[in-house]
Amino acid sequence: MIINVENLVKRYDGHTALDGLNFTVEDSDIFGFLGPNGAGKTTTIRILTAIIKADSGNVLIDGHNVFKELMAVKKIINALPESNGYYEWMTAYEYLEFFSNLYEEKESRQEIYKLLDVVGLNGKEGHLIHSYSRGMKQRLGIARALINRPKLLFLDEPTNGLDPKGRRDIHDLLINLNREHGTTIFLSTHLLDDVERLCNRIAIINYGKIVRTGELDNMKGKGTIEDIFFLSTKEGTL
Amino acid sequence: MKTAYIMQKEIKESILTPKGFLWYILTSIILSVLSYLFLTNSELSLLDQGQMLYMIMNFITALGILIGLVFGADAFAGEIERGTLEALFLSPVNKTEIAMGKLGAALTNWGIIFAISLPYLFVVGKGGQNLLIGIAYLAILGTLLAIIFSAFSMGLSARIKSMKNSLIVSFFLFLLAGSPVFLSAALRRTWFGRILDLINPFADAINTFDSVVIDSQGFSYQIGRVAIICGYTFLSLWFLKRSVSRLEM
Repeated sequence: MIINVENLVKRYDGHTALDGLNFTVEDSDIFGFLGPNGAGKTTTIRILTAIIKADSGNVLIDGHNVFKELMAVKKIINALPESNGYYEWMTAYEYLEFFSNLYEEKESRQEIYKLLDVVGLNGKEGHLIHSYSRGMKQRLGIARALINRPKLLFLDEPTNGLDPKGRRDIHDLLINLNREHGTTIFLSTHLLDDVERLCNRIAIINYGKIVRTGELDNMKGKGTIEDIFFLSTKEGTL
Repeated sequence: MKTAYIMQKEIKESILTPKGFLWYILTSIILSVLSYLFLTNSELSLLDQGQMLYMIMNFITALGILIGLVFGADAFAGEIERGTLEALFLSPVNKTEIAMGKLGAALTNWGIIFAISLPYLFVVGKGGQNLLIGIAYLAILGTLLAIIFSAFSMGLSARIKSMKNSLIVSFFLFLLAGSPVFLSAALRRTWFGRILDLINPFADAINTFDSVVIDSQGFSYQIGRVAIICGYTFLSLWFLKRSVSRLEM
C-alpha cells in the first residue's frame, strides 16, 4: 500500500473541509478521487503532498509519515496542482533544469530531453513558456512533476480546460507512465470520462468524507459511473 | 546549494523581466540628472563636495530601501498569485532555504544599484573630504538596510498573501522610514523627533552619513546608531523566518 490515510481532519475558520477521511491506495494504481466542487479533493491532495498541515489524523506515504518525514516523502512524490503557474520567462528546458537542481539527484541534460520527449515537447524546449498553449503548459507541468521520477504522482484536475486532443494526449501519457514505469497515479477530477478511461480504483468524497471506494470494474456492475457518482453524492454537482 | 539555485532563478527573473531591469535604468537616469544638477546648477554647485556626497548617498539608500520593499512584497504573495509557489513547495527545499534564496536575490539587486551608483559618487564627491569612508559606510549600512526592509517586506508578503496589499503596506513602511525627511528641523529637535530619529533605521543611517561625511566623526560616534541598525537586521530576519515557517497555501 502506497497511501494510507486515517481519520484526517482539516478545518478552515470553523468550516470542516475534511471530516475524518479514511482510504488507502495500492502500488501502481491509477486511483480516481472524485467529488463535487468543494468536497475536499484539493485540500486532501495538499495535505498528502505536505503543502498544508492537517488538524488531526495520520497519513503514511510508502511507509513514511507525511507530517514527520517531510523530506523523505517529498523525494518519492510529486504533483501537478490544479492552478499550476509557470515561470513564463523561462524556456521549458530551463524550467525543468531549475526544478531538477532542487533535488539531490539531478537529472542530466539527456534525461531532461528524454522527459520532454515523454510529454511530447521535444523540439519546443528552447521556446519561452509564455508562448505555450494551455495543453503544452499542462504537459510541461507533468514533466516537472516527473523530474524526480516519483513513485507516486498526484494530479489535480489535469485535463481541465483542455480540448479533446489535449485531453487524449494527457490520458495516453498517464497510461504510459503507469504501465511502463509503474508510477502510482492519484487523480483528482470531476470529469467522469477521465475516470472511466484511466482509473482502476476510485474513491468518492463528499462533504469531507469518503462516501464510496473500491474497484471501478466492481462498481460499474451497479450502473454507469455517472449513476454511481450521483447516488453517492446525491446533492453533488459536477 | 538549493538556496543558491533559488537565488539564481530570482536574479535571472529580475534581470530578464522588465520588473528588475527598469529599476536599473531608472536609477541610472535619476542619478545622472541629480549629478548633473549638483555640478552645473548655479545654486546647487555652491554646496561643498561633502554636502553633495551626503545628499546623493541618502538618495541611493532610499532607492535601495524602496527596491527591497517592492521585491519583498512580490516574493511570496506574487508567487502565490501566479500559482508558482506550490511547485516550489513540492520540491525538497525547506521554506527557510526559499526565503534565503529570495533575500539573496534582493541583496544582489541592492548590490547592482550600489555598483551603478559608484561612478556618480566618485564624480560628485571627487576632491572632497571623506569620499572613500563615506562609500564604505554606504556599502555596509545600505546592505543592512536592504536586508531589513527586504526581509520585513517578504515576511509581510508571506503573511498577507496578497501582492496588492503587500505593496500598499510596503509603501506605507517606506513613507514611515522617510518620515524624518518630512519633519521640519525644529520638530526633529523635539523629544518626538529625536525618538523617531533614533528608532528609525533609515534616519539612523542618514544621521551616520552626516556624521561621517560632513562632520568627519570617527566610528566611536557611530556605534549607537550602527548597533540599532544591526538590531533591526536580526529582528527582520527573525520576522522573515517566523512568517515563512507559518506560510500555508
